[in-house]
Amino acid sequence: MRVWLILLISLVLVGGLAACTGKDAGNGTDTDPAQVGGSSNWANAFEEGRFDPPLTLTTVVGLDPNAAIFKQGETIEDNVHTRLVKERLGIDIKYEWVVTNTNDAYKTKLRLMLSSGEKMPDVVRFRGDLETVNMLIDSGQFMPVDELIERYAGEEYKNGLALDPAIWYPITRDGKKMALPILDYAYNDDHVLWIREDWLEQLNLEAPTTIEEMEAVMEAFIANDMAGNGQTLGLATGFKNGFSTWMTNIGFLFGAYGTMPGQWNLMEDGTLALGSIQPEAKEALAKLREWMEKGYISQDSALFDEVQGAELFTSGKAGMIVGPNWMPGWPFPDLKANVPTAKYKAYPLPYGPDGHRGAAGGKPPVNGYLFINKEMEHPEAVFMYYNFFYEHFANPAPGSEFEHGFAEGYDYAILPDGTVIRDNETAKSYPELFPGVDLNNPLPNPLFYTLTFEGARIPTLYAETLVRLADGAEPVTPYEKIESTSRLPENIHAMKVVMELKDDVYKNYYLGPITETMESKNELLNKLLNEAYNKIIYGQAPLDEFDKMVENWLKSGGEQITKEVNEWYEQLN
Amino acid sequence: MPKRREKFERTWPLHVMIWPAAVVTFIFAYLPMAGLVMAFQDFKPHLGVWNSPFVGLEHFRFMFSYPDSKQVIINTLIIAGLKILFGLLVPFIFAIFLNEVRLMLFKRVVQTLVYLPHFISWVILGAILTDMLGSHGIVNQTLTALGLEPIFWLGDGNWFRFTVVVSDIWQNFGFNTIVFLAALAGVNPALYEAAEVDGANRWKQTWYVTIPAMLPITVVVGTLSLGNILNAGFDQIFNLYNPLVYDKGDIIDTFVYRTAILNGQFSFGTAVGMFKSVVGLVLIFVAYRLAYRYAGYRIF
Repeated sequence: MRVWLILLISLVLVGGLAACTGKDAGNGTDTDPAQVGGSSNWANAFEEGRFDPPLTLTTVVGLDPNAAIFKQGETIEDNVHTRLVKERLGIDIKYEWVVTNTNDAYKTKLRLMLSSGEKMPDVVRFRGDLETVNMLIDSGQFMPVDELIERYAGEEYKNGLALDPAIWYPITRDGKKMALPILDYAYNDDHVLWIREDWLEQLNLEAPTTIEEMEAVMEAFIANDMAGNGQTLGLATGFKNGFSTWMTNIGFLFGAYGTMPGQWNLMEDGTLALGSIQPEAKEALAKLREWMEKGYISQDSALFDEVQGAELFTSGKAGMIVGPNWMPGWPFPDLKANVPTAKYKAYPLPYGPDGHRGAAGGKPPVNGYLFINKEMEHPEAVFMYYNFFYEHFANPAPGSEFEHGFAEGYDYAILPDGTVIRDNETAKSYPELFPGVDLNNPLPNPLFYTLTFEGARIPTLYAETLVRLADGAEPVTPYEKIESTSRLPENIHAMKVVMELKDDVYKNYYLGPITETMESKNELLNKLLNEAYNKIIYGQAPLDEFDKMVENWLKSGGEQITKEVNEWYEQLN
Repeated sequence: MPKRREKFERTWPLHVMIWPAAVVTFIFAYLPMAGLVMAFQDFKPHLGVWNSPFVGLEHFRFMFSYPDSKQVIINTLIIAGLKILFGLLVPFIFAIFLNEVRLMLFKRVVQTLVYLPHFISWVILGAILTDMLGSHGIVNQTLTALGLEPIFWLGDGNWFRFTVVVSDIWQNFGFNTIVFLAALAGVNPALYEAAEVDGANRWKQTWYVTIPAMLPITVVVGTLSLGNILNAGFDQIFNLYNPLVYDKGDIIDTFVYRTAILNGQFSFGTAVGMFKSVVGLVLIFVAYRLAYRYAGYRIF
């Protein structure tokens, strides 16, 4: 009987092991013979604009929801995008693995590959936390790109890269650039002050330009109970996730006093310092405490994150909110649904007593990176690919090949009368123009299948286009036409306000990796800060708790971190 | 030997049934324990487990020298202790009440209803509670209507603990209620009849028959839940807490989340996890011995 049992156990165990190793073997031996054999043919591929015979480019992908919409019969491995790239550039994209990117599955898989020392594919794209970016660079499997950019980058891409030297800070090691930044539209995260225009009109008030005037307006909103149920608030905010957030931003109040919490600001003496511990922050906290006391902001602000905080505005309770230009697209439609008569408009952030204004912003226009394997023989293929998308898709000229979109029957279709359909709701009336497309989902947009997430973006294009449209220009190019029809007028106007504020932003000057002391002390220090800030605002601690906190912060590791941050900053210059 | 073979011939289907479970447990619960080696290393993801340097007990030392550790451990013990105590008491009493109900349909419906919240994720419950307990939420509106002062449920440390414990009991007492009801279903009706013949009223029957019948299963449930003394419920606290209640509501798991996951200190996280498991194991072991000695009850 024992023998029988042992046999059974070993069978099960061996079976399990075999299943594991079998999978590994499949992943490991994925090198393409063509790449080894035909390299000599490809010496002039860049000049010719095409690899002949096709070059195999290996990569991995985590499918985001917008990229996971396919026409029937297509997959990420074989679709209109991969076929186009193969035909036009002679680049045959092979995916070593594909995951659906929920719960950071892609990041987890990448990290697992790194920690088990697996060989990386030719190109790895990554969009997300700096932690993983550092791990990828530290793996030593990727090549510096300085010379490659000089030789192969197209003009649009080079212009974009030249906009802000900070683009390179997070990925520079020993003076070498270790990845290709994937450029995104600039100024898209910068903040404006949104005000309920209908409330201003009803009370015959001017929009505020200073903190003092802003307080008067909030006071008037509340005194007249504009929301109508005794629950009127002046400003919608939520600082559960910090005091300088991507929406429902309260950082502008600190900005009005001359500092920005939660980031490293450039001081007058040329050094970097954490905004949260500056004396100006204490003044801002005193003001915020006063606002809490007077009921200008919700009693629940400390419990709300950005989305919950924004609901105070979209439910019609609050008269103001600070956030990015695109809020009319989301979440403001909820406001229209809740209060059909509501009107809102963007205004510049108010000035403080000493003439400061602004929120955190001016982020370098980067959203993700492409890492090139240092063993890749033809890295120029990556540039040919990116250049191709810059040339044809970033800002297509009227009448050019891709002026309406990527492929007819995918992301668009043209009716006999010349109208272009770009959304699935309209497309439902013409299903025959979209064979194999599930019209219950958004239309499949092959640009989202690209290695660079959205094809190619010219950083300044978005802001410049919207400003031009806001000034009343007629849309001419396909890009302008799409923006003018898909954006609400409030959104287009807001971008003009953003550009008016573009020099009044607080840039975060530290874009380096997490330092050693940060790693061990960040939690303690953040807790110190957050606890003191919240307790002061809620009146659970006296204002002078701030000075005690600062002292504590400095001696619990903050001083050391400040030193490390400045060392990093000095080696840049 | 022949006897044993005979027995095996009768029971082999049971062996076949248990082996898949044993193998799965081995693969998913025992093999990963090898990862505990990280607790004694300065683990760097790009070096992997094999190449990261060993640092001995450094992370354990760090854990106990960390200024906030004491507070965090105390918070955990208080919140988890209250949850265990009331998580036993509430279903115990509720099961007795429910057992007295004679209408079968009503009993079944109630039983199912109280068990339902168990399946709702804290991400959703957290949002619902934040809304209900907000300054203008339904709870505070009721309090104000009754002429009472509104309470800052999620922003005041002591009320926060109260909220956490009560909402946890509400969510989970259905499960233990079912366990207790099952135990009650097994009580021999003859005992009640005998008690009735002896002149015991309803209350006396409960006291002398029902409660003693429930004690063994209560000991089992209590013993098993003692292993959770350092688990105060990560998903619940994480979805409800905020900096205002750090001093009363921050627990080991949320602390580890912020240090280990957000700051990438995986070794430290592993060390704390190991510490928790060891304490839990010791407690289960001790409780089991005590239960055996004083209640004469064995689980294994």
